[in-house]
Amino acid sequence: MSAPDRYGLIGEFTSAREVRDAALTLHSAGIRALDAFTPYPIEGLDDILDPAGRPRLPMLIALGALIGAVLGYGVQYWAAAVDYPLNVGGRPCGSWPAFTVSAFEVTLLCAVTVGFVAFLVFCRLPLLYHPVFTLEDFERASHDRFFLCVEAKDPRFDDALIARVLVQHGAERVASVPS
Amino acid sequence: MSDVAGDGTLPLMAPGVTSLSLGDDISAHVLRPRTLLWWWIGFGISLALLLVLIGSSAWLFIAGIGIWGIDIPVAWGLAIAEYVWWIALASGGTIISALFYLTRSPWRSAISRIAEAMMLCAAASAGVMPILHLGRAGFFYWLFPYPNVMGVWPQFRSPLLWDFVCLLCYILMSIMFFYVGLLPDLATVRDRARGRGQRIFYGLLALGWRGSARHWRHYKTLYFILAAIMTPMVISVHSVVGLDFAGGMTPGWHSTQFPPYFFFGAVVSGIALVIMLTLPLRRAYGLEAIITARHLNALGKVMLVGSLMLGFAYFWEVFGPYYDADIAERHMLHERLFGVYAPCFWATILFNIAIPQLLWLPVLRQRPVPLFLIALGVIIGMWLERFVIVVTSLHRDYMPSEWGNYFPTIWDWATFLGSIGLFLTLFFLILRLLPIVSIAEMRELIAERP
Repeated sequence: MSAPDRYGLIGEFTSAREVRDAALTLHSAGIRALDAFTPYPIEGLDDILDPAGRPRLPMLIALGALIGAVLGYGVQYWAAAVDYPLNVGGRPCGSWPAFTVSAFEVTLLCAVTVGFVAFLVFCRLPLLYHPVFTLEDFERASHDRFFLCVEAKDPRFDDALIARVLVQHGAERVASVPS
Repeated sequence: MSDVAGDGTLPLMAPGVTSLSLGDDISAHVLRPRTLLWWWIGFGISLALLLVLIGSSAWLFIAGIGIWGIDIPVAWGLAIAEYVWWIALASGGTIISALFYLTRSPWRSAISRIAEAMMLCAAASAGVMPILHLGRAGFFYWLFPYPNVMGVWPQFRSPLLWDFVCLLCYILMSIMFFYVGLLPDLATVRDRARGRGQRIFYGLLALGWRGSARHWRHYKTLYFILAAIMTPMVISVHSVVGLDFAGGMTPGWHSTQFPPYFFFGAVVSGIALVIMLTLPLRRAYGLEAIITARHLNALGKVMLVGSLMLGFAYFWEVFGPYYDADIAERHMLHERLFGVYAPCFWATILFNIAIPQLLWLPVLRQRPVPLFLIALGVIIGMWLERFVIVVTSLHRDYMPSEWGNYFPTIWDWATFLGSIGLFLTLFFLILRLLPIVSIAEMRELIAERP
């Protein structure tokens, strides 16, 4: 088992294919507390690391749109037909077609805002400090290197096994990340 | 559908571009310790123009909008024409970055950031114009539906209010869309920064992005949905601007074709401004390796399509008054074609419809200089088009007693120049502070390269 003063073990790879293969092997060995750090999204990597993770983002955005639609239409209808009905030549106060345009815009605004906030929440951002930032050369995760990190909290965490798998798949370097 | 550029034989980037070289190049422009001379010159000129805006607005607030040439009957002048012009230019940025993201066009990646930056700066210039035009600029917040002691609400049925809502939502959404796309690149710059100030600045802006698989998963999902939302949004924004006019009982405005007509104008002029910004930047930053003839070709084609759509709208605009029997409509049209403002109308046709037909020739649309000149013509032509729409309709209303001319005063022109200054100042600042090419997206393209 792991020492509690460590965040985990990290491997540094030079290609996307290597990190994907290593992630697949570790995942099939039953390790779940896995994360990869890459300069661009790697096709299929998130499915390996988090196969059951259903993205909740689209549902929340749809909910945001619904709230926006109700809010956008509601404010207009309430103001023009309930709070201050103004009869102009017998025209209906609740003239819904004229309210659709603004309601549409507010719908989209609420959808985007909810999406933006939910994105930050799901990514746990802003988070200016993270243990992996202490790793030497981790800057290259946003340039040309691919990192795969196994967190020490995983019940199947085993130094020797993980280091072996990482090296087998071409890791140039395996290092331990202090917590 | 993925290949809107058509000519798949043109290379998307030079063979020597790698993930590392690209990140280094683009970050270096932002992180360079000494600012380049051309940047200072450009920024200086922009700032001087911005001061013109500040000065002319100050005088406007003191003296009132009588300092402009507007009066009854021509109560909308350059400020409104320029509002429409700027918001159309802004739309072009969203069309490139959102619409062509949905079509998975590979040429979009290298220029999307330039287009998005342009969109934000142009939207700022657009947003200033109606507020200046209000006359009582300090009361612009009355447009918000907020509970107030007067107990009244804005007129929600007015297209002018729809337009305010549209513009506000559009700018807020654009900022979020821009920032999400920027986040991974800010992290790249942060990791390259050496100076303490730069590390703190980009460290804060990047929010701690570390490119984890979880980050990328949410990023991809969100970016796709945002693009899918921004696309109808941009169409609605310029359509509602068209409704500002279509809702008015004025000859030449009261037409159902205005929403699409205005959107067509947004396509052609927005793309033209993207071209005009991309070409000098490509040269100044040496981006020829990633912005190739393929990109110019694609932009040229989109501009040509926009021009053809606009020509279609121009045709119906002239056809309408002859088809229906409204004397005032027909009279206004004749004044537009042959009256005092006729040179503006015919210049519009020349710059927006006739000259862009040169883009049918691949040899012209793939070369920077001809493409730049055609785009410049379109920008001028579109400005004139807005001027013609706004002014000629108002100057010949239904009653002869409502006839009169409008000529811009020096304060009209000062506001116009100043709005260009506002746009350029913001653009130069973005150029200096933020990576101007989407590094993360380009890396995906590089990784997919055979």
